[in-house]
Formats: sequence, C-alpha cells, structure tokens
Amino acid sequence: MTDKVIYAMYDDDDVTKEACQSLVDNGVHVADVFSPFPIHGIDPIIGIKHTRLGIAAFMYGITGLLLAIIATRYFMVSDWHGINIGGKPNFSYLENIPSFVPILFEFTVLCAAHGMALTYFLRNKTLPGMPARNPDPRTTDDRFVVEVRLAENSNFSLDQLNDMIKETGIVEIDEKTIK
Amino acid sequence: MEFQISNKAKKVTLGLMGVGLLLLIVGFFFQKEYLFPTVLSDHEVYVEYWGEQGEKESDVKAEAQEAMAALGYQLDFGDEGEEHQNHGHDAAEEHGEEHSEEAHAHQSPTFDWHIHIKHLEAEGHDARAAHGHGHDSAPSESLAAMFTNGDISMSDSHFRRFWSNLLVNGFFFFGIALGALFYLALHYATESGWGVVLLRIMEAIMSALPLGMIILVVVFIAATLGLNHIYPWMDSDVVAHDDLIWGKVAYLNKPFFWIRIICYFGVFAYFMNWFRKTSRNQDSEDVEKATASHFLMYRRGALFLVFFAVFSSTMSWDIIMSIDTHWFSTLFGWYTFSGIWLSAMIMIMMVTLYLKHKGNLEFVNSSHIHDVGKWMFALSFLWSYLWFSQFMLIWYSNIPEEVIYFVTRIESYKFIFFAMFVVNFVLPMIFLMSADTKKSWPYLIFIGLVIFIGHWFDVFCMVMPGTLFEEWNFGLLEIGMFMTFLGTFVFLVLKALGKSSLVQNNHPFLEESKHHHG
Repeated sequence: MTDKVIYAMYDDDDVTKEACQSLVDNGVHVADVFSPFPIHGIDPIIGIKHTRLGIAAFMYGITGLLLAIIATRYFMVSDWHGINIGGKPNFSYLENIPSFVPILFEFTVLCAAHGMALTYFLRNKTLPGMPARNPDPRTTDDRFVVEVRLAENSNFSLDQLNDMIKETGIVEIDEKTIK
Repeated sequence: MEFQISNKAKKVTLGLMGVGLLLLIVGFFFQKEYLFPTVLSDHEVYVEYWGEQGEKESDVKAEAQEAMAALGYQLDFGDEGEEHQNHGHDAAEEHGEEHSEEAHAHQSPTFDWHIHIKHLEAEGHDARAAHGHGHDSAPSESLAAMFTNGDISMSDSHFRRFWSNLLVNGFFFFGIALGALFYLALHYATESGWGVVLLRIMEAIMSALPLGMIILVVVFIAATLGLNHIYPWMDSDVVAHDDLIWGKVAYLNKPFFWIRIICYFGVFAYFMNWFRKTSRNQDSEDVEKATASHFLMYRRGALFLVFFAVFSSTMSWDIIMSIDTHWFSTLFGWYTFSGIWLSAMIMIMMVTLYLKHKGNLEFVNSSHIHDVGKWMFALSFLWSYLWFSQFMLIWYSNIPEEVIYFVTRIESYKFIFFAMFVVNFVLPMIFLMSADTKKSWPYLIFIGLVIFIGHWFDVFCMVMPGTLFEEWNFGLLEIGMFMTFLGTFVFLVLKALGKSSLVQNNHPFLEESKHHHG
C-alpha cells in the first residue's frame, strides 16, 4: 500500500512546537517529529505515549542486583568458604554484607545502564551500522522535520494538508511516496 | 500573589509550640542520671556510679531497698568488708575498661556497691523456694534491669538530656534554613530558570535562620561556661589527662572555636540578609536595574558557595563531630551536609504544597512539584550513599578509635540507628522512584513527613551517643522540644512569606519558570 508523506522542515524548535500545535488544533495527525535534540513539551502535543524505558531499566537493575547477590554469595561464601580478607572471614553472607554492597550497587548500575542503552538502540532501530531512518540528514544538525502522512489524515486531501502546513513557519516542504 | 498567614495557621503553629513547650517543661523534670549494674551471680550485683552527686548515695540505696522489698528481697549493700574490696575492685577494673571512652574525667566511680540479695526474713522456706525457682529471672537480673531502665536513678543535675536535645533541634532547624539558603545560592549561581517561582519560598525558609543560630549560640555559651559537658575538649581537666584530645588542642580550643562559630554565623546571616533584601528591592526596580541586581546575585551566589563549601564541612566538625572528640571521619562534613540539604528540600516541598493548596501559587505547576520531588528522591540517595560509605569504610578497617563511633551506636541505639537508615533509604527509593508518585500530593506529604522525622533521628543519632551514652531516653522532653521548634519554625516561615510578593516579578527568568515543563 502506497502512501503520500509530507515532510515540513523548520529551523527552530519553538516554531516546530507551535506548528505542531496549530496542525493538531486543525485536526491533523502528526506522525512524527525529527529533531537533533529533545524538544521539551512536544510529546503530549503530537500524542506520543510516555516511554516505558524506565520500567525496563528497573527490571534490568533488579536482574543485575540478583545476579550480583548470587555471584558474590557463590564466590565468597560457598566456593571459598571462610576466606579471610582484612580480618573478616566470610562465614556468613548476611554478616559480611556491607563488604558486598559496593559490588551489588555497581553491578546493578552496570546492568541497568547497558540494558537500557541496548533496549533504546534496538527499539529505535539505531544500532551501529543500521540504515538511518530520518528523512533528511540535516535533522541531526540544525533542522527540525515534521512528518504528516496522508493515510492517517483521511479527512483532508493532500492539497489541504499542504496549505495548512505552508501557513506555519516552514523553511522547506517535501513530498514523498512510500511503500 | 500576596500571602498573609491565616488565623488558622497561626493557631496551629503557635498551638504546636505551646503544647510542645508544656510537654518540654514536664519532661524537663524527669531527666535521669543512671547507675550502672553488672550482674555477678543470681544474688550478687555490682553497681557503680560515675556522676558528681555522691551525697545522694543513701537516698538511692533506700529506693533500691524499697523496690526489691516489694518483690520479697532484702539488699545488703556490701560495705567496707574485705570481700567487697576485692570484688568491687575487680569489677571496677573490668567495667572501667568498657567505659573508658565515656569516663572522661573520672578514673574510678564516685561510689560503688557490691550488693548481696537476700530473701526477706519474714517469708518462710516456701516463699524462698517460690522466689528462687518460680521466677523467670534471677533477682539480680531484676535489680539490674531497674538500674538499666532508670527506675532507680538520680535526677540529672546537669540536665544533659535538655542540653543535648537543644543541640539536636537547634542544629536540625538551623540546617533546614541553611539548606534553603544554600539551594537559593545554587539556583542563582547556576542561572537556573525552572525554580524562579519557588525562590520566595526558599527565602522565607532561610529567614528562619536566626532561630537555630540563637539556640546553638546558647548551647555553645553554656558549654563554654561549663554548664553542660557536651564538648569534652572544653573541659581542661579532661584535656590534661587525654593524649588524643591534647593532640587536637591546636584546633579544638575555646577561642578558636568561637572565632570559627562567629565566622560561620556571621557569613551565613550576612548572605541570608543580603539575598533577601536585594531580591525584595528588585521587585520595585525597573528592568535594567533589576537585571543588574540579578547578575549581582548570580555572582554573590557563586561567592557564597565557595564559603559554604568550606564552612559546611568545618562547621559539622565543630558542632557535631567534636562531641566524640577522639573520633574523626573525613566524610562527616558531606554526610551532614546531605542531610541538611535534604531536610531543606522537604521543607520547601511542604510549604509549596501548602501554599498551592491555599491557591496562592498560580504559576507553580505539576512540573515544579515533580522537580522538587526529584530532588527529594536524589538527595535521599546522596545521603544514604554517604551514610553507607562512612559506615562501610569504618566497619571494614575496624580501627578501634574509629569503630568506637559505631560500636556505641549499635550497642545502645541499635533500633533507631538502623531503623532511621532503612526508613530514610528504602522509603524514598520504593515510593518516589516512579514519576507519578513524585507528582502525587498524598505520597509526597506522607513520604516527606516520614523522612523529615527520619532525618531528625539522624541528627539525634549523631549527638546523643556522644553526650548521653547509654543513658538516653525518648520521651516528653524530646517530643515536646521538637514540637516547639517545629511550631516556631513554621510560624516564622509563614510570617516571612507575608513580607513580600510570592513571585519575583522582575526576575529575568520568571517567564521561563512559568512555562516550565519537565
């Protein structure tokens, strides 16, 4: 199924935000916005759901914490039972827990951070070497692009959409047919 | 955007103060000085007293005799017998070692008894059997418990609990005002925009700085004059017999201490006044002048942070760490500071929610509240991190002169010491992790108040083990004094809020703050 897509380019984040607001007010559905940096407050305007990355990070953190507990318990208490480090023989995990807290903390952070980064890359399809999905390379530099799809705006014709977009403070407009 | 303290708020805060004062006065007369028992056998207890009220010996003897008579026993206070000499001497030596950290000036107890517990003659053989075997605990254990609980004790002639509590509350509320001043300076120095609508609240909280300062100065004057013995290094007798303290005399001596205290308080009071005055003047200045004032405050904010960086550390050594004069920790300044900052953030949150509830803060939106909530969450972690770092390093290295700090706390303050840590760490972690709870009023108020009290107990655990040792208590005196301080502090803050508009109309970043979106 082919679809027409309009890419409207802006050169300021506030103008982009206002443009999105006015389009949404007219009943247009904005598919996406490409920006070199996060624009505060644009998510609710174009109706992007709140990210679940935080929940994922929490899960990775818990996983890391559990793995670290199992590992330190096995290395320091089960396998090398009672090894005496600094006059504190590891006979009991609970009694010696303060000496394991740093590694528990570090491993939790390691798992949460790496898991979160990998999830982010995978979900956005931006792992190193993957083809870029932004419509214009300048959106990684100093330009902002608003993407409007015709199929998602069945109430409007292509010309109506073009007219509405041209009323906002665009610097360029482009139309593409995608498969 | 004007705010005037309502009659209801006045009644509540002043009422809190009044009731607190009443409890405080009642509690004041129940301060105890303890005797220390050692159970030698089922029928023998060794009791020693280290205080200065030796003349009350016979009164306490009578009291103990009476209490044990109720249980059917008679006490024989081993007088100058040979047996007493031997036992007493051994036990004194044994016990003296345990107490060497606390017994600053005294080499031996003021008086000590070697008590033999006998059955009352009136009771027959049956009663003796019942008492001997029917009881859960030996009579010596019950007698020792009475001394340990403070059921049999002397009234404290030095009012140590009163002075210690004055220090705890004075420092805690001084810290909140100071934390607000610090955060205001940080806000200016970093040219932050988001919190401009909250700056007047910070100003009001820091306006209560003199309350804590005055109380602390009273405590210090009393300590200097020898009215309380909070700081052992102020007692020349102790210093003369203590090599460790003697080595610290270059820093810990009365004149230098006072120079430092005057320095800290002078600088803090000056900056507090200056920020408040400049910001209030700014409201009526034209745009150009107001912007100039803003940049002046920006530079002064940075200057204050330089002072604060040094003073917050040395101040915590002087006021808190020097109570345990032998002990030292390089992390202590940061640890104290993180607690101060967090308590201030909670106070800012509570006042913000109160004013928002009253409808006085139209520009404060959920993003501002969310951001203050983030600070509460993050600072709880900073505090826990520093608390644990200090604990773990000292616990691991196990050097006697360092580890004694935690030994006294874990032996005599175990419950509040660990409960305080768990509450202040786990509660914010679990309940303030999600973005929704950081915006939710019920969560913020509940968690905020719990960890606010938790951090009061943190200060309690910093001070008490060094001033009251195992003779601490938690009762009317503590609750009453906390209520008095809280009532006075909140009253001063609300009063200060009414002195100016709640919005800094000429702040260059006001517009940004109004549209703050986190």
